[in-house]
Amino acid sequence: MPSTALLAPVAIPLLTAGAVAFCGVAGLKVDRVVLAVGSWGAIVVLIALWVPVRSTQELTLGPLGYGAPFDLRLDAVGFAFALMVLVPSAVLLTLQPRAWQEGTVAALGVAAAVLAVEAGGILLTAVAGGAAATLAVIQLDVEDPRASRPPWGILLAAWLALSWAGAILQVRGGTAVYAAVPVSAITVPIFVLLAAAALLASGLFPWRAWPSQLWGRPALRAAGMAMATMYPLGFYLLVRAYEIGDGGYPQFLLNAALATIGVLVAFGAAARAQSATTRREYLGEVIPGLGGFALMGISLGTSLGLAAGIATLVVAAILAACLPLLPDRAGPASLVLIAAAAGLPPGLAFGVRVLGLEATFEAGNLLGLLGIAGVATWIISIIAAARAIGLPAGRGHPAVETAPRVAMGLAAATILVGPALGLVLLALALPAQADVMASPAGVPIGGATSIVTVSTVLPALALFTPVLLLAAAAYIVAGPPAVPARQRPPLFELPGTKLLAGLRAEIRAATVPEQYRSLVDLRALEAAATGGGPLLWLAALVALAYAVTR
Amino acid sequence: MEPELAVALPAAGALIGAALRPRPRVALIAGAALGVAGLAALVLAAPGLSSDQLGLRLSISAMSRALLLAGGGSLALVVAFAPARADRTALLTWGLAGLAGMAAIAAAPTLDLVILVTLGVALLHAALAGGRSLSARLRAPALAVALLGVGLVLARLEGPPVLARFAAVGLVAGLAAALGLLPYIHEFDPDEPTSASPIAWIAFLGPVIAVAVVMRARELIPTAAAAFGAMLVGLGLLNMLWGSLASWLTEKGTSAWHYSFMADWGLVLCAFGVQVADGQAAAVLVLYGILLSRLPLYLWSRQSLRERVQTDRPINLLAAALLAGSAPFAGFAARVLLLRGASQLYWPLALVIAAGLLLWLPPSLRLGRSLGLPRGRQAIGAGIAIAASVAMGLYPQPILTLAGL
Amino acid sequence: MDTAAAIGAWLGAAVIVLADGRRGLAVGIGLVALGFAGLAWTEGSWVGTAFLVVGGAAAVIELLRARPHDWGFMPPGSTARLILAVVGGIISLWIAASVTTGPGAPLRFASLAVMALMSGRLLQSQSATAVLTAAAGLAIALAGASAIAPSGSDYAPYLLGAAIAAGALLLPVSESRGA
Repeated sequence: MPSTALLAPVAIPLLTAGAVAFCGVAGLKVDRVVLAVGSWGAIVVLIALWVPVRSTQELTLGPLGYGAPFDLRLDAVGFAFALMVLVPSAVLLTLQPRAWQEGTVAALGVAAAVLAVEAGGILLTAVAGGAAATLAVIQLDVEDPRASRPPWGILLAAWLALSWAGAILQVRGGTAVYAAVPVSAITVPIFVLLAAAALLASGLFPWRAWPSQLWGRPALRAAGMAMATMYPLGFYLLVRAYEIGDGGYPQFLLNAALATIGVLVAFGAAARAQSATTRREYLGEVIPGLGGFALMGISLGTSLGLAAGIATLVVAAILAACLPLLPDRAGPASLVLIAAAAGLPPGLAFGVRVLGLEATFEAGNLLGLLGIAGVATWIISIIAAARAIGLPAGRGHPAVETAPRVAMGLAAATILVGPALGLVLLALALPAQADVMASPAGVPIGGATSIVTVSTVLPALALFTPVLLLAAAAYIVAGPPAVPARQRPPLFELPGTKLLAGLRAEIRAATVPEQYRSLVDLRALEAAATGGGPLLWLAALVALAYAVTR
Repeated sequence: MEPELAVALPAAGALIGAALRPRPRVALIAGAALGVAGLAALVLAAPGLSSDQLGLRLSISAMSRALLLAGGGSLALVVAFAPARADRTALLTWGLAGLAGMAAIAAAPTLDLVILVTLGVALLHAALAGGRSLSARLRAPALAVALLGVGLVLARLEGPPVLARFAAVGLVAGLAAALGLLPYIHEFDPDEPTSASPIAWIAFLGPVIAVAVVMRARELIPTAAAAFGAMLVGLGLLNMLWGSLASWLTEKGTSAWHYSFMADWGLVLCAFGVQVADGQAAAVLVLYGILLSRLPLYLWSRQSLRERVQTDRPINLLAAALLAGSAPFAGFAARVLLLRGASQLYWPLALVIAAGLLLWLPPSLRLGRSLGLPRGRQAIGAGIAIAASVAMGLYPQPILTLAGL
Repeated sequence: MDTAAAIGAWLGAAVIVLADGRRGLAVGIGLVALGFAGLAWTEGSWVGTAFLVVGGAAAVIELLRARPHDWGFMPPGSTARLILAVVGGIISLWIAASVTTGPGAPLRFASLAVMALMSGRLLQSQSATAVLTAAAGLAIALAGASAIAPSGSDYAPYLLGAAIAAGALLLPVSESRGA
């Protein structure tokens, strides 16, 4: 296949956006079909590009003008992350009705996100990621300008920080192309900048950030697309950072710090989930929780951790497609989705969490302690899941944008595929890991039936299949649990939460004391600055003259 | 011959436009034809090559040529997609006069002539019908001319090294005064027609004047280059801060737009101040953004500003993203280049600039909403401005090549 | 001769600063033009001299053509303007004669003094006639100062400066014509 074909996964969503806009303007009501064909077509092309070759393909189309060549690269990392963007997007674009304007912006967002992960260098990723963020914000605002959305400033800061990191790498190392950056160029400050960009881009904070808040919106069309296109990008940067650093971060401390943040993110999500007042609120914490575990795994700096982290993101991507399609009512769909998200055995979420935690223990030192914290967090999240089954549904988003059967099917698939965890690792996570980090010598980590780690062998197929059969039998015999929906007390309250909330409220309500208001009176300042007063002009001249003679 | 034609043809277009004002359609066609011919002469002009047809060695640098073309594009956009109630003939006439002035400034062989042409333009601009008194309209541009003149004289004198620094002060302050930037903000009357308002200086004439002054100043005062750059960066940061905060918090919508131009100019001054190739490239991109996006959007927003209409449609959000310099618009590429340039010079400067860049968002959301819901011709114009900005943001290389960078 | 011309130019600028009436301004701009024409003559540029004389004469005629024909010289409250005219001249003289070196001190003095005084007048005045006269003076000073360039000056700055000086006072001077 010619290398220009690498443009296709980006070009197809772009063309789709154009076609949707055309249909919309022309009054043709076929935009959903166009979106479905375009988004699934991009997935097919992506797979067709990668699967026959299964090795890195590159396309260079010359300089773009800001120091970045138009360099596209499809390797295992790009393939895995592109699928994480494309699959949930395709599901949502196919099943949720939306206005043609929304559909156009959504398709453009998909194209930008795919370009970000197909880009060969940091600067192009920054531009494309920034574009994806801009389009996501526009989509969310178009859907409902009053509903919560990610702060635009935070997203802009993330992609500007990444641009700056790329610029510094170009200045210091001569290039910001992932595969060519000299290892010596990625110093601790530059890595911190890159990591900050990653955390900001994906909203990876221990407190309730936009990945949780989005699910509280009255409609979940744009929220689902925003999660699908934006959430994986921050993780992508952290994975690519291994490639830049020749398989490692500049210092172990950075691994530890990021892994700690990961556990804190997961714990924050679990803590909020166990005190949720509605099921919708609980479901809003599912992806941040998985994200925390993924961040922990990716940051460990070991092959197993990285593979587990990427596999966790795969699960998160599937659930990102399920959540917007799930109606806000009790029933088997909610139950299955909660079971899939909580990490009940033998689901994929269970397997990837086990691997992630095992990776912390194998990494040893401080990271082992993080593993213990991770186990505690998982326990809390399972309790939260059990509690969520009996919670009131919460504010319902429009039924027309839900597809309970598909949501349940996808969630059930993540449970049913649990025994094939090895295959998932083999197909997506391990090739990506091998692209950025040298694999350990000896037996490969993933096999079709079992996963081999340094300390043990996890016979996924042999162990999980009986569990799956037992769970299925138990469900068939007992039927869905009849739990009445009512408010339930939280397991615990985080100490200091009220204090922090009070402090925040006070800061928000803070005003400048009366006697100092004249100092910050913008109207007076504006009048002084724009009055065109010769005195001000002369004073400025004197000040400049004084400054240059110092 | 091309530089002479680039000046003469738009000037002739402006004169014919003014003369045929009673027959607007004919005036529009004749003016447009001469304007396009002037732009064609510019396209054909080889950058840097001088022409000596009038006993004067006129030549247009690549960067000035690129900005003149952008100015022509901006005028075409504004006139072709003007609001229904706008006087397109007047817009074209004064736009062509401005374009002729810009071409004359760009082609002038010495800074003396640049300053004199600027004074001529200032006088003609002050004579336009407007709400402010003539002295108020002329004060800041004439002060700019005087400051530039004193700076030029000091730069040419033999004496202690401090003279070169004082020359730098004169040139930087003169430039700020010509553009109408803090602390030399031109008096602004929100109800004044755009062609007679300070927007003409800050958004239309300014880019070419800035390039002419900055490029020649570097040759004039090489010993004070550091002081010159530092002052540009200092004033740039000041204008970034003031422009974005004032644009966000001011009460009047038109003033908000005026301040937003100042914020963009803050970026340009910083970019010129870092004195590396990336800085120049960033400056060119921001100036393209001012000419081809911010100025047309401002003009199209005036009606909704008068009617106090605010909308939250996709077009408003796209415009807000464009004005804020979000990816994938031209502003983002300019910011990347500026950060790269500043990183080469002094990384804490890049940190300050990066922090300052976030200040663009709140005012941009306000300005985007003030655009209202463009319909008809204006909607097409807004679409073109947005598309052009995306193209410049994703692939700025052709523009940078055109500007000789 | 060049010293006298320079002093004449400064005197002309001082008169523009101190006068509000059209006759006073006409005398001022005439002196400025003659001063710089004399300086151009000593630099050997007779073309420049001719342009500046013509430009200055045109400005003088424009000022004298319209009414009211008054002098308005040093009206009450002119102390600050008087100080500006004297101090501006002294500082320019100090820079031209003492701080800077090389030949052409009179031209340096005249250029700096006239530019400084004209910018002061532009900032201070609310009257359109005074502002336009100051702009004309500024144009003549800029044209004259172009001779300071190491390679000398060709005719273009003189022509342009004279054209601006002549044209400035042709502009309509109504103060405000509404939005």
